[in-house]
Amino acid sequence: MPSVLPASAEPAPRIRLDGVSLCYRLAKQRIPSLKEYAIHWVRGSLAYEKLWALREVSLAVRQGETIGIVGRNGAGKSTLLKVISRVLKPTAGRAEVNGRLAPILELGTGFDYELTGLENVYLNALLLGRSRREIDEKIEQIVEFSGLGDFIRTPIRNYSSGMQARLGFSIATAWIPEILILDEVLAVGDSSFTDKCEARIQEFHDAGTTVLMVSHNPQSVRENCARCLWLDAGRLRADGPTEEVLARYAHAGTDPDQRPAGQLHLEK
Amino acid sequence: MTDVLHVLRYRDLVRALVSRDLKVRYRRSTLGFVWTMLQPLLMMLVLRMVFSKLFQSGSAEVTRSYPVYALAGILFWNFFSQSIVASMNSLRGNAQLLQKLPVPKAVFPLATVLSGVINLLFALIPLFLILLVSRHPITPALFFLPVSITLAAIFTLGAGLLLSPLAVFFTDTVELIGVLLTLLFYLTPVIYPKDIVPAHLRWIVRFNPIRSILEVFRDPIFYGKVPPLSHLAVCISIAAIAFAFGAWVFRRSSDRIPFYV
Repeated sequence: MPSVLPASAEPAPRIRLDGVSLCYRLAKQRIPSLKEYAIHWVRGSLAYEKLWALREVSLAVRQGETIGIVGRNGAGKSTLLKVISRVLKPTAGRAEVNGRLAPILELGTGFDYELTGLENVYLNALLLGRSRREIDEKIEQIVEFSGLGDFIRTPIRNYSSGMQARLGFSIATAWIPEILILDEVLAVGDSSFTDKCEARIQEFHDAGTTVLMVSHNPQSVRENCARCLWLDAGRLRADGPTEEVLARYAHAGTDPDQRPAGQLHLEK
Repeated sequence: MTDVLHVLRYRDLVRALVSRDLKVRYRRSTLGFVWTMLQPLLMMLVLRMVFSKLFQSGSAEVTRSYPVYALAGILFWNFFSQSIVASMNSLRGNAQLLQKLPVPKAVFPLATVLSGVINLLFALIPLFLILLVSRHPITPALFFLPVSITLAAIFTLGAGLLLSPLAVFFTDTVELIGVLLTLLFYLTPVIYPKDIVPAHLRWIVRFNPIRSILEVFRDPIFYGKVPPLSHLAVCISIAAIAFAFGAWVFRRSSDRIPFYV
């Protein structure tokens, strides 16, 4: 596997977050229409609740690191990945990301169910920013990796969710990225495919790719990541060697003083 | 500037979105492709029946070949209004995607307007048939049409870029704009000759920018003349301002779009 990356690690980090906060502004009453907005505005009753999904998160990631991210539901893990993937812009702070991304926040985003698997390979890879020529070069390899065989020529509305996931993963990882972002996407699919995916991620790692993965499976974090982040209520609670962070996270999980998982923290 | 380069890098995606849009449009109905050409023709026939008596007060030239006048107007209007409504739906329709992938959001309204242009080109075929059948003079001025269509497309893209984020933030914008477009339709001499407008209301027609863009499209077809340079300069400015303003608003609101779709 030839490396597309420079052999020597450059001094600038791949990812640098500097006091990144992200706020979802939730209207108290949902105001989906201009008419209602006008009414509320006239009444002076426009009120919002702020949900801070990330609070002053700072971190730096060097090239070639593989980092696991753990935390409860609603702790801000996916939001963090979206900020790094440049899908969401932070409300405050700076996010600096250097390098070609393969953001896999969900497998098969943008699949068109009426199109065949093959047509979707093109559409999906184009959405990921590839050119038609680049896709032509990789198309056989993508189909082969997906293991879908003749199904590739049928509309994907006939696919099972596992098959969709396989195709999605094959497309998203057909090119060696500089930064790979995985949001719990390996949970679907049978074990043979999961093994194949993990082998590919390992390949990327060997080629110098920086990997960030959210996982609810401590075993998988332990096996893949030397470094681990623990997010809790939008704050970075711990950042360090995987075993240490996981131990603290596990301990907090059994601590009765801790808030229940998934609780929203609303403030005016 | 970097945004423009970004969209350029995604040009294959834009092309794929356009061809998917056309495929969907023409695959759904059996008449499909024929329908694009038939719809304005039928509408023109209705208008002819209803209005040919009404507009006799207009200039003799318009009265004589009203079908060509009306059809050219309708084709332009359909392109303009349908592209705007479709642009507004294009971001909402791709909500899922915008929350998961860092795609430059402008590709969606851009692809919408481009597929509108292709539909307009198809719809020109029956117009040319009518020109032939009605023995309307066919002149070299028709070679000016690509310029007219480009201007119309830039103007429409500006409007689409301006309105599509609004449709994301407020769901009823699409309905509101629908009503406004109906109003604009009557304020623009699409199906009526502009000289039937009462003198005290002429300023509305005169300062209506859509009328200017429409004339650049229709004059080469109907009057067989290339628009005068002064008029062309005005239209280029209108299109450029509409595009620059739309692009500016789109850029400013683009970061907030994933939070609302």
